[in-house]
Amino acid sequence: MISLKLVRRNLLKHKMRSALTIASLVVGIFLLCVLRSLVVAIESGVQGAKRDRLVVQSAVSLFVSLPLNYQAKMEEVPGVAKIVKWQWFGAYWQEPKNFFANFATDPDALFDVFPEIEIVEGSVEEWRKDRRGCIVGDKIAEEYHWKVGQTIPLISAIFPPPQGDTWEFTVSAIYRPKSTAIDRRTMFFQWEYFEKGVEPLYGESPGTGTYFLRLAPGADQNEVMRRIEAMYENGPQRVTCSTEAAFQMQFVTMMGNIPTLMMSIGTGVLIAIALACVNTMLMAFRDQAHDVGIMKALGFTDGGVAGYMLSQSLFLCLLGGLLGVALAKGSQPLLMMGPMGAMFPGYDVTNRTMVIAASLSAAIGLVAGFVPALAARRMRSVDALRSVE
Amino acid sequence: MLVPLAYNVRSIFVRRSATILTLLGIGATVTVLTGFLALRAGFRAVYTQGGRSDVVYFLRPGATSEGQSSFPRERADRLVKSTPEIAQDAKGAPLAAMEIYNAVRRQKARGAGETNVPIRGVQPASFALREGFRVVAGREFKFGSDEVMVGTKLIDRIQGCGLDEVIQLNTTPFRVVGVFESAGAAPSEIWGDYERIGVALAVPWANSILARLKPGVDLKEFASRIKNDKENPCKVMTEPEYLEAQTNALGTMLAMVGVILGVVMGVAAIFTAMNTMLAALAARTHEIGILLSVGFRPLAIFVSFLFEALLLGLLGGAIGCLLALPLNGIETGTTNWDTFTEIAFSFRLTPDVLVTAVIFSLALGLFGGAIPAFRAARLAPTEALRRR
Repeated sequence: MISLKLVRRNLLKHKMRSALTIASLVVGIFLLCVLRSLVVAIESGVQGAKRDRLVVQSAVSLFVSLPLNYQAKMEEVPGVAKIVKWQWFGAYWQEPKNFFANFATDPDALFDVFPEIEIVEGSVEEWRKDRRGCIVGDKIAEEYHWKVGQTIPLISAIFPPPQGDTWEFTVSAIYRPKSTAIDRRTMFFQWEYFEKGVEPLYGESPGTGTYFLRLAPGADQNEVMRRIEAMYENGPQRVTCSTEAAFQMQFVTMMGNIPTLMMSIGTGVLIAIALACVNTMLMAFRDQAHDVGIMKALGFTDGGVAGYMLSQSLFLCLLGGLLGVALAKGSQPLLMMGPMGAMFPGYDVTNRTMVIAASLSAAIGLVAGFVPALAARRMRSVDALRSVE
Repeated sequence: MLVPLAYNVRSIFVRRSATILTLLGIGATVTVLTGFLALRAGFRAVYTQGGRSDVVYFLRPGATSEGQSSFPRERADRLVKSTPEIAQDAKGAPLAAMEIYNAVRRQKARGAGETNVPIRGVQPASFALREGFRVVAGREFKFGSDEVMVGTKLIDRIQGCGLDEVIQLNTTPFRVVGVFESAGAAPSEIWGDYERIGVALAVPWANSILARLKPGVDLKEFASRIKNDKENPCKVMTEPEYLEAQTNALGTMLAMVGVILGVVMGVAAIFTAMNTMLAALAARTHEIGILLSVGFRPLAIFVSFLFEALLLGLLGGAIGCLLALPLNGIETGTTNWDTFTEIAFSFRLTPDVLVTAVIFSLALGLFGGAIPAFRAARLAPTEALRRR
């Protein structure tokens, strides 16, 4: 039987080496967790998508708006329960770098279609009453120190304000979503304010980029999608109607190879730390060849000494890996405060990520311990004893 | 006196397996970082090369890219015709073009999903305003007809962008009649007639106006005059300024990830290098005792060990660069968040990237080797000699 005390003593004998190995695992596994969480962030919208929601957009382009009269016609399609329009407003706070998603929408319909938006401060009634009112995600409220009742001037990169340089909004309420379909850095404001503001410039009422549809229970998703697309087959603007998941997925595919790239970097990191661990374990074995000989002479079995080498490696790697996982999870609130939180609002070190990272560190431990374990197993005690330390 | 460098070079090759593993570890780190820097260099190169400083973009105040900007047509038209600073062509027409910048949904090749391909409605002056513009296959589209040209980067990456294929814009089919090349981001775009594209997409405005200025126009003065214009205030940016601004979001993201990667992976690699050097120290304690007792100063021992670590770093860095070399020129594409459209670019292992990689690998060796070298220098000769 191998005693854990022996393993521990041996690792403590080379404090510096053990510490360095553990430390390199900590950073490696930490990085791996961060990379995977970024991919999770990119795909978070898809994960939060609801089956009973559909999205209607222009079939031609993400930049082309749909006429407002589409809504009434789509409401008549059997199976459609509620519709809400969202128009991308492209506004920022003071400087272009203080950027977040903001949409003009209908307050009532918004909550009908997205019941997961939960008001945590202020009230929906306030919002309905105030034409300039808006609701903001708790993350942006925190980031820019916005309070309920505060007036916030925003600059829209797309729509010039009716007068002056900024559009003025009042924070009516702060929300926190119950699912990842809505992120915590979005602002919604009244359609009416938007429409009245941009009409004078373009001479007509603006269209909307997207309609979100909530289906009635038991509605046939595919049938609704087919009918809506067919309605506008001959223009004036062709539409594409997709599930919410497919809609969110388009933003993931837009990123192209970036998620793949992140994962290949992760693989590179993994290889680098695995090599480092193999290296350490080979060094450890060289130091301990003599000890192994003694152990064998004392009656430790081949399997026993192999296990002894293997458990040293496993212990180091698991310890480093778990610390790395803990660091990734612990640093999450800190990372979310910086520019990364703004760019990847869905960043989350999930349980799945943690399990994967911990398993990988165990796997590295096994790989790194394999050669020394095999060598220890094969070694004859006479040879080992003869080797000079 | 310094310890001969040959001693270190030989020592490195004595402990072969440890050396190779360390080199590979450093190499893998350097490869990842180099690949990443090459990606960033490729992306930036698209936007930083070929901009002319006498060409300006007129955008709506507040807009940061063409897609966000818009002008009512008649205002844009008036601006082009009534701005004396705009240069003229041989026939006396202003060298300026109103352009539409929009995007069309297209499937990427090899089933990689949908993306937004930029489509530009251009006017005759647009061609002359672009550095390096030329048609490489087929012909230019005819103004007034439903025809388009595609940039060279689209052909292999986006479905349905070959010669004679048809791109459906809403209810109007446009035929691809030519393929063009140019500096900047244009090779990732589809170009057609400003009027026809506007009608097909129901876009009743111009997104931007591009113009060449007469020589000697004071840019600052001009920009401030246009900015404060009562009737049609615009933001004026030179082409290099405008292009640079299109790299903000993705450029920042790539730089940020690059720094995180460099620091985190670098720290791990430093630990590896340190471990290796400590093992080397342990194995050679006896030798160090000999060196000290024949009269080498501790400083010489320190320098010698540090040199060995630097050599490890450099060799690892060379391996890393070699491993990253095949990436050079590989085309990839992603959505540029500033324009919200697809941009194609290639990995570019520029001299800058390689120099950074080498400096990085030397730093890995330096930081990894400092502590072991210090320990080696501090050994007492008698103590060291006793160790076998």
